[in-house]
Amino acid sequence: MNLRPSGSSEAKQKKFFDYSLMFIVIFLVCFGLVMLYSTSSYSGQVKHGDPAHYLKKQLAATGLGIVAMIAISKINYHFWKHFALLGYISSIVLSTLVFFIGREVNGSKRWIYLGPISFQPSEFAKLAVILFLAYVISKSAKSMTSISGMIKVILLALPIVGLVGKNNLSSAIIILGIAVVLIFVASPKYKQFIMIAGVGIIFITIFLSIESYRLERLKVWRNPENYEKGYQTLQGLYAIGSGGLFGKGLGESMQKLGFIPEAQNDMIFSIICEELGLFGAVCVIMLFLLLVWRFMVIANNAKDLFGALLVVGVMAHISIQVILNISVVTNTIPNTGIILPFISYGGTSVSFLLAEMGLALSVSNGIRFE
Amino acid sequence: MEKNKTFNRKKILIFFTCMAVFMMVLTGRLVYLMIFCSEYYGQKAEDLHERERSIKAERGKIIDAAGKILADNRAVCTISVIHSQIKEPEKIIKVLSKELGLTENEVRKRVEKVSSIEKVKSNVDKEIGDTIRNYGLAGVKIDEDYKRYYPFDSLASKVLGFTGGDNQGIIGLEVIYEKYLKGIDGKILTLTDARGVEIEDAGERRQEPITGNDLHVSLDSNIQEYVQQAALRALQTKSANSVSIIVMNPQNGEIYSMVNVPEFNLNDPFTLNIEVPDNLTQKQLQDLRNQMWRNQCINDTYEPGSTFKIITSAAGLEEKVVKLDDTFNCPGYKIVEDRKIRCHKVTGHGPETFVEGIMNSCNPVFIEVGLRLGVDNFYKYFKQFGLLGKTNIDLPGEANTIMHNKKNVGIVELATISFGQSFQITPIQLATTASSLINGGNRITPHFGVNVTGKNKELVKKFSYDVTENIVSDETSETLRFLLEKVVSKGTGKNAFIEGYEIGGKTATSQTLPRSAKKYISSFIGFAPADHPQVLALVIINNPQGIYYGGTIAAPVAKEIFENILPYLGVDKK
Repeated sequence: MNLRPSGSSEAKQKKFFDYSLMFIVIFLVCFGLVMLYSTSSYSGQVKHGDPAHYLKKQLAATGLGIVAMIAISKINYHFWKHFALLGYISSIVLSTLVFFIGREVNGSKRWIYLGPISFQPSEFAKLAVILFLAYVISKSAKSMTSISGMIKVILLALPIVGLVGKNNLSSAIIILGIAVVLIFVASPKYKQFIMIAGVGIIFITIFLSIESYRLERLKVWRNPENYEKGYQTLQGLYAIGSGGLFGKGLGESMQKLGFIPEAQNDMIFSIICEELGLFGAVCVIMLFLLLVWRFMVIANNAKDLFGALLVVGVMAHISIQVILNISVVTNTIPNTGIILPFISYGGTSVSFLLAEMGLALSVSNGIRFE
Repeated sequence: MEKNKTFNRKKILIFFTCMAVFMMVLTGRLVYLMIFCSEYYGQKAEDLHERERSIKAERGKIIDAAGKILADNRAVCTISVIHSQIKEPEKIIKVLSKELGLTENEVRKRVEKVSSIEKVKSNVDKEIGDTIRNYGLAGVKIDEDYKRYYPFDSLASKVLGFTGGDNQGIIGLEVIYEKYLKGIDGKILTLTDARGVEIEDAGERRQEPITGNDLHVSLDSNIQEYVQQAALRALQTKSANSVSIIVMNPQNGEIYSMVNVPEFNLNDPFTLNIEVPDNLTQKQLQDLRNQMWRNQCINDTYEPGSTFKIITSAAGLEEKVVKLDDTFNCPGYKIVEDRKIRCHKVTGHGPETFVEGIMNSCNPVFIEVGLRLGVDNFYKYFKQFGLLGKTNIDLPGEANTIMHNKKNVGIVELATISFGQSFQITPIQLATTASSLINGGNRITPHFGVNVTGKNKELVKKFSYDVTENIVSDETSETLRFLLEKVVSKGTGKNAFIEGYEIGGKTATSQTLPRSAKKYISSFIGFAPADHPQVLALVIINNPQGIYYGGTIAAPVAKEIFENILPYLGVDKK
């Protein structure tokens, strides 16, 4: 892919394309599909009469995502600057729209249905925020030294955080986290971020106390066995605990047989633990760490700040989401609906994640060794 | 275009380091959960996945003294439905209600109940179970287990007792020896998904049931059968309400036979053995069943009448207030305080010795003996003879002796007690006390249970029973045997006399309360051989029609029994 003819001015410079990143992503996607099939075949059979029901939908989205990834990786990432504002605005529109035409699933309005295709605006919002904030910050990098500059950027992110957070707390946390990480990287200061961390904590506390059900989550978290709502968490722990060192073997999970509700979504990591054991689970974590490490390498070598920030945004997105998901599954933090990137079932998510990978690859493509 | 500066790189590294640390922490959490909590959560998960079906254990057999099986087991089926596997509920309801003889509503309730497994009916004949299995209905489970089966149907029904739906003893020996007879139920453990559907090829773990131990009893089905026939004949010829007969070994308390006719069919214990009107309520029916299941020898008390004179004699002789050659005079009555108590011979027995008095069963003689003893002494001997408590026989629901409170006993009461009236005891209490008085003075415990053996006939438990020695002296016991032999050979009990045997005994005719109803209980207690008793029989005919004298109708029954069982027991003629 890096064999395309180079421009004359760059003739003597070696071009770079991060194959390691691409292979890690492809491996993760394939592994995710295998685990998804293992986890979802039971409920696919029971609910839809087809064990491959979920796999087929996920395959379609993955195919779309891989096409998008390759296409985006070939396009110079500066091209997307023109769409930064458009993306930002359409994400606000879509996130608002979901209140009115969204379909309610499990008590949350998160999906917009266009015929047979469902779409989750919050997944799009993550990409849009990464692109828009990377663009805004790189344009006004000097203002990042001042508190007011930082607050401006945060204020830009807040409408989306608020809109998404109404229905999907975890996505809102991720978007906010992306914004904070971008500002943190762009700013030479340190002290301010301790303050921002404080503000973040206050923000989360307010969020928790606004609606009583969120406080209840805390109680469920402490003693999942005493609450009906702790059922899913507890079942996840049963799955993790029964995995042991090397697991029961691929496909041998008992907990996926209806004990963990919708195991293919948020709780898929617990099935990985049950089937592949501690060994498999640690491998998955290491794989994600490797992925995040590749992002760091690309970001550090990016040609310009915009490229670096794009990759940092993607890096923040993936790492925060992985950590939150595994923390929830292991009951390290209170339960909040969050999926494991590339592995959990979710078409919108995997498509946009692969698009983000395309962006990162595109940035890696811009790296020049001098 | 802004460049990527060094501080940017440094901050990216800081962020990466933070994320790496978080991931390490989570790895640590996973190590904790998957290694240190693995056993705990793994066990909980397994409990959740496993469904348990029990396999009924085979109950131990009850085996008689002759080695015949009195209570056995027969293969039956339990029919259950598994809600989540049901595909054709209407068909299942139809088939099950038809085959099991239940109403559609009863079956519907079970079929439509949302539970993992619901029992529809247990103790279904194996053939019916097989028929249902052949329908091949999804969600209907047929489990085989065992049901109690009694080869002799009604033989000793009130002694053996029967078992309920869970094979638990309900009355009789089945209750008392439950702990030995009941085995340990086995289990089939299968893995199921969250809906309770068993997972194919997951295999199942079986915990085999452990069969209960066999109970060996002293009851002898040959004697029991013979005694039952004799009782039935008496019941029919005398149109009596019921006939109860106890045959036991007076030396050690082993009971050879305990008959209470009419008996009921143990294989169908809920069907009444009498004709009843159709319009009875469930409660009335149950009351009648409870009545039918009563063991009159143990659960009911009666006024013993003249057979109690054995006890009065024993007390009098032991206290030495009366000697065999003491003379009495019977004018046909005796005046006690202001009451004139009649003798059964209105014209009186005239002058007689104590020996003649007992042969004649003369009330005034025994009133005199009772008065000579006095209340204190009399009660002392009641207590010493073990008469005031229960016999502790190994059957449930033994009734207590109903005796006057000692401080309420005046002269009149003392007089009536002396010839067996105004108080009540159970037949088994009378038989046991009489046995103990004639066997040399050892108060024995009447019992059926001899020992318990395991699967390979090995001895699991040998029962031993309390014996209280010297409740009367040897001498008194011997005198008593001599007196009672005279009653049979020359006195009121002569209808029980068998040529070639020395038989001791005592007759009784008691009037039941209220006296105005003119209902009687005729009884006879006899033992043989008189000098060394090996078998004792108590015959009680409740409410006979026509002639009701114990000597006339109960003694011949005892004679008939002795004639047949003495050779069987190896007691030779002299």
